[in-house]
Amino acid sequence: MQFPSTRALDGLDVSIPTGITGLVGANGAGKTTLISLMLGLLRPSEGSIAVLGLDPGPDGPELRALIGYGPERNVLPDDLRAYDFVRHLAEVRGLPRDEARSRASDSLHLVGLGEERFRPLGTMSTGQRQRVKLAQALAADPLLIVLDEPTDGLDPVQRDEMLSIIVQVNREFGIDVLLSSHVLEEIERICQHVVVLDEGRLVAQGAIEELVGDTGGVEVELVELRDRPESIDAVVSALRRDGIAVDRSGPSLVLSGRGTDELLDRSVAAIAGTGARVRRIGARRRSLDELFVDEGRAVS
Amino acid sequence: MTSVSGDARIAGRGYQRYTGPRSGVPGAVRSVAWQTTRAILGIGRSARNKIFPVAAVGIAYVPAIVFVGVSVLLPGDVLPPEEVADYAGYYGFITAAIVLFAALVAPEALVGDRRTGMLALYLSTPLHRGTYLAAKGVAVAGTLGLVTLGPPLLVLIGYTFDNSGPDGLVGWLGVLGRICVSAIAVSASLTAISMAASSLTDRKAFAAIGVVLLVLILPSLAGALVDGAGYSPYWRVIDVFSMPFELVYRIYGQPGNFPEVATWAVGAANLVVTVAGLGVVVWRYRRLVIAR
Repeated sequence: MQFPSTRALDGLDVSIPTGITGLVGANGAGKTTLISLMLGLLRPSEGSIAVLGLDPGPDGPELRALIGYGPERNVLPDDLRAYDFVRHLAEVRGLPRDEARSRASDSLHLVGLGEERFRPLGTMSTGQRQRVKLAQALAADPLLIVLDEPTDGLDPVQRDEMLSIIVQVNREFGIDVLLSSHVLEEIERICQHVVVLDEGRLVAQGAIEELVGDTGGVEVELVELRDRPESIDAVVSALRRDGIAVDRSGPSLVLSGRGTDELLDRSVAAIAGTGARVRRIGARRRSLDELFVDEGRAVS
Repeated sequence: MTSVSGDARIAGRGYQRYTGPRSGVPGAVRSVAWQTTRAILGIGRSARNKIFPVAAVGIAYVPAIVFVGVSVLLPGDVLPPEEVADYAGYYGFITAAIVLFAALVAPEALVGDRRTGMLALYLSTPLHRGTYLAAKGVAVAGTLGLVTLGPPLLVLIGYTFDNSGPDGLVGWLGVLGRICVSAIAVSASLTAISMAASSLTDRKAFAAIGVVLLVLILPSLAGALVDGAGYSPYWRVIDVFSMPFELVYRIYGQPGNFPEVATWAVGAANLVVTVAGLGVVVWRYRRLVIAR
């Protein structure tokens, strides 16, 4: 996607399956441009795009009736009531007036704003306004909702609630979700698939389980004991005697060279045998953060 | 559903899938046009948003109410004929209210959507730029119809009930037709100018002030060119705010305020202004990068 002065997306070849898919990238990675292309707000300068089997260009009106979009920007008119806002957008997306009325209430109840639905939007908190944006995306019963930074500005509790609602929407109603976010942790928590962008290029895509998670090693974090400072060295020595590769950084050890179960057994035995104390032990997982850094480095 | 007694039921449906019909683009246009009309008139908004539209609409109807009231309540010709509104001259009493209303209607309809990002949200629905603008145009022109169509229509109906309206059904329908054509002509020109101004700035106040300044400057400029510098009287047509009202006189077969300008020139000027104004709007929105 070429803008007059910048190339926002470059050589992107992406396939997004059903379920909840995370669209990940730093600011300026091209997430919003990709969403705009999907909605037909922008036309690709090269290549093609299909969403739900339709071309956002010629089939735009038909396609967009099937998509609920929750934008990142605060687009809520302050003096309009939440119910009126949601009802209006449900009508614009094609619902008959009576149906739009009842579904506006239902959607606002679903996102936890049933009691607040007749309040003017300007009087609502950031968390409530984010919920209203989700409700308007849901009201017309889309096949797919596209949410751009839906947890932006939310505190941890509100963020958890918002993510729970998104999961509920997918599991209970079968509505596919494309969730754009730069918060990798929340993507890892609720998404089944991920598309990682960096500076307009594809860094990685696929099932979260395949891209992150168990990497075949074990991580051990020991406690530094004042009365037995040699205990960590003793654990390392014991493991190395067993032929296990140990990468040590202070009290943290990364073990590799055997299967995960065997590494766990050997490390427990070594800790028990040396009298060391363990703070944390478990299979080593690659986080989305690490994937982002590793793959981004590889691409650039 | 929970059965209570007989046919009475309490519906507890909650969010569920919808499989019924969808209204598509026509429904989207209708909904945006209606919502925009509500916003312009301050319906469903705070009291301060209602003040100007209610005042402007009220002012536009005051002469009609007075003329009809005098005609109905007082016997004989109380007012001298030149002070009683005929259909062609009615707009002369409310020109300022109409133009000021036009100056504020389109900015309310267009500017806010671009500033807040509502435009991107609308364009994520079945609407595209063309149908979005059509919805806004319908809302602006329709709202202007409140002040361009309603008052002369009220005069016609009032005079008709007072037995002082047009003679015969054909005559009555003829006046009705002229009222409608006049209202459409005035609304179309002012809608185009006001929407063009609103498409060029992201500040409602700038758009409104721009229109008002044009209203003040153009008649003076046209007068200076024609009356002062001795240019051709056809230079009057640059006064784009007077031309719609001049066209109304011609629709009623009257010479109007600028009889030296041919009717075809007045009509052409209005057509050019309408097409050019809408052209500016389309050009501006085609160039607009809407990414979210």
